[in-house]
Amino acid sequence: MVVDPAIAFLVLAVIWEKAVDIFGIKRYLLPPLSQVLETFWALRETLLRESLTTAWEVVLGYLLAVIGGVALGLAIFAWPVFRRTLYPAIVVFQGLPKIALAPLMVIWFGFGLSSKVLMAFLFAFFPMVISTLGGLSGTPIQLLEHFRAIRASSWTTFRRLQVPSALPSIMDGCKMAMPLAVIGAVAGEFVGSEKGLGSLILVANANAKTDLMFAALIAISIVAGVLYVFVELVAKRVWWRAL
Amino acid sequence: MAASAAVSAAGSGAESAAVRQTAVSVRSVSKTFDGGVLALDGVNFEVPEKQFISVLGPSGCGKSTLLRILGGLFSPDSGGEVRILGRLSTGPSPDVGIVFQTHNLLPWLTLEANIRLAAEVQRIPPAEIAERTERMLEVLRIASFRLRYPHELSGGMRQRAAFGQILILYPQILLLDEPFGALDALTRDKLNVELLRLWEKQKQTVVLITHSIAEAVFLSDRVLVMSDRPGRIIADMPINLQHPRDPQIVRALPEFTRCVLELSRMMGVV
Repeated sequence: MVVDPAIAFLVLAVIWEKAVDIFGIKRYLLPPLSQVLETFWALRETLLRESLTTAWEVVLGYLLAVIGGVALGLAIFAWPVFRRTLYPAIVVFQGLPKIALAPLMVIWFGFGLSSKVLMAFLFAFFPMVISTLGGLSGTPIQLLEHFRAIRASSWTTFRRLQVPSALPSIMDGCKMAMPLAVIGAVAGEFVGSEKGLGSLILVANANAKTDLMFAALIAISIVAGVLYVFVELVAKRVWWRAL
Repeated sequence: MAASAAVSAAGSGAESAAVRQTAVSVRSVSKTFDGGVLALDGVNFEVPEKQFISVLGPSGCGKSTLLRILGGLFSPDSGGEVRILGRLSTGPSPDVGIVFQTHNLLPWLTLEANIRLAAEVQRIPPAEIAERTERMLEVLRIASFRLRYPHELSGGMRQRAAFGQILILYPQILLLDEPFGALDALTRDKLNVELLRLWEKQKQTVVLITHSIAEAVFLSDRVLVMSDRPGRIIADMPINLQHPRDPQIVRALPEFTRCVLELSRMMGVV
C-alpha cells in the first residue's frame, strides 16, 4: 500500500533529475531535483517560518468557513425566509471568481493576516454551505416519517436524525474545502503580502531563483497535504455513508 | 404475561369477539392527493380489539395510504374520520406503532441502540428502557447481534429489529405496512410464523397491509380486500382457522385453501 506510491514518486524524481541533463533544459527554467532539495535544506528555516504563516492563515480561514458554512447551511435549512433571500444571493456570489476579490481584500484588510484568512474563508465557505444544506435536505423521507410516527419532537428529529444523516455530506464538504482554503490563502499572499509561501514564490520569481520557487512549491504541497490528512482523520470518524 | 396468556386462552372461543371493544374505527375515509388524484374512496370498517386483520389489494390501490391515515401520518379528506380506541385521531397516537416495509434502522446506531431509540425519544425511564430492550432482544432472538450495526445484518435480522424498534413502545395497535415485502420468500415465511407466535402471546390489535394472499390468510382473523385505485373495500372475509396455527397443518386445511382460492378469485388472480 505504501510501496506503490513510493515507487511512483521515486520514478518521477529520477525522470526529473535526469531529464534536465538529457534534454539540456536551462537551469533557470527547471533546476534538477537535487538542486531544489539542496536549496530546500539550506533555507529550511525560512521555509518552515513561511509555511507556518501560510498554514495559520489556511487553518483560521478554513475553521471560519466550516463554522460559518455549517451555521448558514443550518439557517437556510431551518428558516424558509433565508432560502428565499440569502440562498440565491450566495449562489450568485459563488459565480464570481473569488480570486478577483483578492485585491479588494488587501485594500480593505491590509497586507497582514486578516486579508489572507478572509481569502481562505471565501474559497472554502461555499462548499460548506452547499454540503450542509444538501446533507440536511437529503434525510430519507421514510426515516422522517418513522420519527413522526414515534412522535419525536422536531428538535429530537433534528438532533438524532437529521444531523447525523447530514454528517457524511458535511464531511465531504470539509474535505473539498481544505484544498480550496490553501488556494485562497496563497492567492491572497500573491496579491499583497510580505509573509507566507505565496510571497516567497514572488520573491524567488523576482530574483530568478527557480530552485527556491520549487522548494516553496514543495513546502506548499506539504502544508496542504498535512492539513488534508488532519481533515481526513476527523472525517473518518463519520464512517456511515449517506442513507 | 399471565393476563395475556389468559386472554389467548379465552380468545380461542369465537363468542368472546362480541364483547370486545373497537380498537380502530374508520368512517367514510377518502383521500385526495394534491393534483386531484383520488387514492381512497369512502372506506369504512371497524377492527375489534385484539383482532389480526389484513388489508389485501393490488399495488397502488391506496392501502399504504390507508395505513398512514390509520397511523395519523396523513389526514383523511374532510368528512372522514378515524378513531383509535374511541378517540378521534388527529395525529400519531401513543397507542399505535407502525412497522414499514423498509426497516428504519439508523446506520450509525448499533442494533441495541436502534431498538432503544423510540423509547428514549418518548422519555421512558432508563431502567424501564433497559428492561424492555432486553425483552425485545430476547423475544425477537437478536440478542447476540446487539452490538452489530445494521449494515452487518441480514435482511431478516434487520426486519426483526424493525419490529423491536416499534414493539418496545408496547403499542396496543400495530400497523404493519408490508413489513416482509423486501425479504426473500423463505425468510418471509419464517418471519410470518414468528410474527404469529408473538401475536398469539401478546394479542395486540394488528392491521397488516400486504399483497400476499397466503400471508394474509395464514396470519389473519379477517381479511379486507381493496379494489384498484381509487381504493374501496370490496370484500370483508373472516378466516375461521383456530389458534395457535401451525404452519404445516394450517396450510393443508381445506378452509385455508378455500380462503386463498376465494380471495384469489376476488383479486382476479385465477
